[in-house]
Amino acid sequence: MVIFRKGQRVVIFQKSEDESWEDYMDSYIGSHGIITDPDTTKNDPDDLVEVSVDGKGTHRFPQDCLKLLND
Amino acid sequence: MNGCPVNDTIRVLEESIESSVFKDPRIRRIGEEILELMKDVAWGRAGEDHIPAIKDLAKTIVEDSTDENAGQAGQNVIHALENHEEVFTSHVQTHNCTTGDCVRLAPAPCQMACPSGIDVPTYVALIGMGRDAEAIEVIRKDNPFPWICGLVCTRPCEFMCVRGRIDTPISIKHLKAFAAEKALSDREYKNPEKAQDKNKKVCVIGAGPGGMSAAYFLALKGYQVTVFEAQPVAGGMMMLGIPRYRLPREVIDREVAMIEELGVEFRFNTRFGKDITFDQLKSQGFEAFFLGIGAHKAFDLNIPGEKNFSQVLEAIDFLRKVALGERKLPGKRVVVIGGGNVAIDAARTSLRLGSKEVIIAYRRTRHEMPADIEEVEQAEEEGIRFSFLTIPIEIVGENDNLKGLKCLRADLVAKEGSDRKIPVPMLGSDFIMEADAVISAIGQRVDHMELKSISDLKWSRRTTVNVDMASMQTARPEVFAAGDAVTGPATVVEAIGGGKRAAEAIDRYLSGIPQPEMPPVPVRRKRVDWLEVPAATKMVLKRPEMPLLNIERRRTTFQQAELGYSENQVREEARRCLRCDVCLRCGKCVEICRDKMGIDALELGYLDFDHPVKTDFRVTEEKCILCGACAANCPNDAVCIEDRKGERILDMCGTILNRQKLLYCDSCGAVIGPARYMDYVKNRLDSLPPRTEKEKICAACARKKSAKLLSI
Repeated sequence: MVIFRKGQRVVIFQKSEDESWEDYMDSYIGSHGIITDPDTTKNDPDDLVEVSVDGKGTHRFPQDCLKLLND
Repeated sequence: MNGCPVNDTIRVLEESIESSVFKDPRIRRIGEEILELMKDVAWGRAGEDHIPAIKDLAKTIVEDSTDENAGQAGQNVIHALENHEEVFTSHVQTHNCTTGDCVRLAPAPCQMACPSGIDVPTYVALIGMGRDAEAIEVIRKDNPFPWICGLVCTRPCEFMCVRGRIDTPISIKHLKAFAAEKALSDREYKNPEKAQDKNKKVCVIGAGPGGMSAAYFLALKGYQVTVFEAQPVAGGMMMLGIPRYRLPREVIDREVAMIEELGVEFRFNTRFGKDITFDQLKSQGFEAFFLGIGAHKAFDLNIPGEKNFSQVLEAIDFLRKVALGERKLPGKRVVVIGGGNVAIDAARTSLRLGSKEVIIAYRRTRHEMPADIEEVEQAEEEGIRFSFLTIPIEIVGENDNLKGLKCLRADLVAKEGSDRKIPVPMLGSDFIMEADAVISAIGQRVDHMELKSISDLKWSRRTTVNVDMASMQTARPEVFAAGDAVTGPATVVEAIGGGKRAAEAIDRYLSGIPQPEMPPVPVRRKRVDWLEVPAATKMVLKRPEMPLLNIERRRTTFQQAELGYSENQVREEARRCLRCDVCLRCGKCVEICRDKMGIDALELGYLDFDHPVKTDFRVTEEKCILCGACAANCPNDAVCIEDRKGERILDMCGTILNRQKLLYCDSCGAVIGPARYMDYVKNRLDSLPPRTEKEKICAACARKKSAKLLSI
């Protein structure tokens, strides 16, 4: 797992087992987005990070469903 | 039907008309009328009468048509309306197509990114035209705090801004701040019209961004809203957590006053759970509740000495006291522990109170610091120092006299099976950072105790209030929540978006309508004209730097550090916008120009989200023949070609890509297009007589001439 930083491009590559994952989020799997607000206090791998998903709005996701996209 | 029912119905109806399903001329005319009305719905220009009118016309087809297929086509329209009534109505009422199939109603990436769903391209265009009050009117349909957000928003919109794929994103945040200030100054900052009174009471706990947004939208819907706030002022973290040099109090006060003007009642110094309980509020007739209590409780450092010295402060408490007017020097030499925005705020505030030396101790490196880069840079300019790879282990001192912070040096080591590096203390590296005050800024959490009077409330394992994120409804159906209480410490705009979403859901709850299963999609508010900008100007205009207060004042006063753009800078910056609400980046224009016409005049490298390549609007003028194929194939009229004042002009959302002089037929005077286009046509139509240098004739005159030549 990496530390996510503002402006990084990510893909929602899998469903998360975290309790914060809601059913409607299944439709976001495979979508690309940009990290807009990582955990701004502690860099806690357990915190939810804010991602703007291309065409699907801005939401908070658990970090285990996110993967960095290579440039 | 898989996509948008409105779009699908239009497609089927068009096919029916084209394939002569409607054989009777009268029935065919009715079919065409339905199509026109359907297009109005899909283009966001339909009124309340459109849907009933379509239904009536379709019924006429069913009843009057003697042809079975025509009758079935009419029946299909009725079925679509009946099965998807909510979608059709939503197109009419909200000008919104959630699938994006109705291209005129698809939100731009910046709008999609905004947690409060503001129609960014519309208000940026209005600001570019100098129509600031109208811009604020558009913003306040989705967000009651344009000025506040103009100063402190984390601007997800700018991260998604398509212009950022060319050079730098539009400075959306600063444009908003300018427009809000200007509209207020011009006394043109107004509230939207309220709906009729619903005679129902809603209670909001907490006057932060989430609570006040919920109050604002509920008041607009006609509810009687009362906000209970523990502090003596409104604003929540905006007032108590964000220092005045970033967000002046007057800004908050003015925008809160607008909410009060809507009839929202504020009761300050009333702590929920202590001064008033849930049951007491229920007995006062409140039918729904919104919880926006924030996350104000600081985490402990969990190191020896933390509770032994009065000079060890919690950042959030320190900032709150300063925000409420206390101007006590925390210490001459201050160490702030943490690496986030709150740590930066605490450090910069200490400096402004007169501390001689302020050091931020952070356990990782600069690269891992979660604080905003601009905040870090400004702090460094002001003289704040950083001690990276520093892990605090003990507060040292004697008899309530703090001497310093004992720390260990750290090394960043990758955890096995992970790319994530964690700070590992280096044995024997301990040292003492001299300090007479230590401020802890390692994060906050929600205070459970405040909400204990609400039974059945569920909590997440992150100790936040558990809600359905689509409706912000808690385990108790009449209780809704948003803001930091739900997300943990997050952003102002996220709290505003959550408050807005909760207000919608409270309205549904009190109206007996089921809650949505997905979060709402932002709504297009208008389709305003674009600003005309030459391609060269579009490319060379640069995002302006934000002017800052001089460094001496920044180090000594709480005056606003960012001075704001000048009016000229604002108007110019708005002209850089690509108007992604109109151009949907489908790439059809590029494909037609390159693959069908063989010209390849459009260098639009920004079309791809993941792999943008070079964009240069100026290239078009060098290659384009002004054939108009791109414009003819644009599904959303983003590319236009027109003849104006003796020129043929090609523009894309206002960017003038090419303009060439028109030639006129020497024989009949008709427009024959620019020379470059004529040369292209000539090369493909060898049968036409050659165009001489002296004679230019149109196709009709050329045909006549050929006929004459052949008859001789």
